[in-house]
Amino acid sequence: MSRLATIWAIFQGLLLEALPFLLIGVLIAGLARWIAPGGRWLQRLPSQPLLAPLTGAALGFALPACECGNVPVARRLLAGGAPLGSALGFLFAAPVLNPIVLASTWAAFPNQPWLLAARPLAALLLALALSALLQQWPEGQLLEPALLEERRLSQPLAEVGLLERRSGLVGAAPPAAPAPQERPSLSTVLEHSSREFLDLAGLLVLGSALAAVVQTLLPRTWLLAVGGGPTISVLSLMLMAVVVSVCSSVDAFLALGFAAQITPGALLAFLVLGPVVDLKLLGLFGVVLQPRAIALTAAGACVVVLLIGQWVNLWLL
Amino acid sequence: MGESLAALIRPLALALWGAVLLVSTLTGRLELLLRGVFHPLVGLSGVVLLAIALQQALQGRRERRWSRSWGLSALLAIAVLALPPNPSFSDLASNRNSDLGSEVELDFLLPPGQRSLTDWVRLLRSQPDPQLYDGDPVRISGFVLTQPDGPPQLGRLLVRCCLADATPIGLPVRWPASFTPKPDQWLAIEGSMGVERVAGQERSVVLPGRIRAIPRPARPLEP
Repeated sequence: MSRLATIWAIFQGLLLEALPFLLIGVLIAGLARWIAPGGRWLQRLPSQPLLAPLTGAALGFALPACECGNVPVARRLLAGGAPLGSALGFLFAAPVLNPIVLASTWAAFPNQPWLLAARPLAALLLALALSALLQQWPEGQLLEPALLEERRLSQPLAEVGLLERRSGLVGAAPPAAPAPQERPSLSTVLEHSSREFLDLAGLLVLGSALAAVVQTLLPRTWLLAVGGGPTISVLSLMLMAVVVSVCSSVDAFLALGFAAQITPGALLAFLVLGPVVDLKLLGLFGVVLQPRAIALTAAGACVVVLLIGQWVNLWLL
Repeated sequence: MGESLAALIRPLALALWGAVLLVSTLTGRLELLLRGVFHPLVGLSGVVLLAIALQQALQGRRERRWSRSWGLSALLAIAVLALPPNPSFSDLASNRNSDLGSEVELDFLLPPGQRSLTDWVRLLRSQPDPQLYDGDPVRISGFVLTQPDGPPQLGRLLVRCCLADATPIGLPVRWPASFTPKPDQWLAIEGSMGVERVAGQERSVVLPGRIRAIPRPARPLEP
């Protein structure tokens, strides 16, 4: 019975910590919809394989949010017709490449300058790799169907057929330039944002519950017991990042507690993998990506982070 | 579903989540769940959600699309409101590692009688010579932290973010024969610091002069 009470309390802790960040993300996405209704600037973001994810990653500095708030913003980028590479670059890199997370990493590890450079670099590398990996498949096989439909409406007819868009008049010439959309009323934006918040909150509840159950039943001492093995320590801290599911804005302070017991590569792996893949995020990703794309993201991220962790251990141990 | 109820489901679900955040902040529940630095953000988010819910309810637009998950999440919000968190600290601590890592540097030192349990643990980790503290007065409080290999200690949980990252710390106590500490019980101990030898090594141990059972403090988590 006491274990159930502990699971319930951890669930509430994870949920109450994440909900404000989710709300911030949803409000930022709503604000973007209100300021630039047609999302024209989104469509003008670069689409080159390398430049696109780099631009998306750089957007993290302008839209500071941890991984929970990041998802609705990334969804808005995709729905507004932003190039896939830019949106994916933002989705995967922005949870680390933003001023709040970098400041908290510096505050937690002021005496480890290598980590201050390695964390954003590794996050960027991971975003580039995941973006390149996912773009091997067509958008129709990656993006969640409702998002794909919304995205088709924002893309020019030259790029999307009428059947894909499910609207328009067959035989009519596509307009040279679509008429600019009117700015929606604040009430309409709030209506949309509140709907999005409730959709995402439901998924966050599922993820937080899963994370609370797993971390209560799986003794954390097992994950930290592996100590200094260069590969096994990286793997165990990757598993810990997935299970613990704390926000990227505070995970550096959590890592501070066990940094002395683990290898530097394992520490970096914890700080880079958690913002991209964790149990709490699995449900949230469902509003952006299809299950297969989520599985690819998780597998790809694990391989890349394992390699980065091992390379760092080779370098620093 | 009636049209009026359909129009209300979204504002209602929003208001319930807003209430969860605001009530948790105002009633002190957050003290059990999150580090203090997050409390204003949670409370403010509750106010914003309630304001959006009110605005949307006054609009009274018919819901074109509503998800069953909104209803479920609203029920869960009611459950969170009705069932406050009541974790077993001892249970939480049992599967966590208690190492403070490199976080043992002390900026300043309080007089012995004013040190909290956390101050004592940090001091003993940074300057572990037990002879330095032999005979110092001790006034601490904490919960009974069971140990897999020895008598229970008096413990506290350190939290950097939320309960999910709670890290237990503990001080060894030489319990009197007449007192049986129960797991999770909160105690205040007044006494002195002594020295004992365990496995050939000296370590500091609390020698209780007076032990009082106390209710769980309003702020049980330490930063």
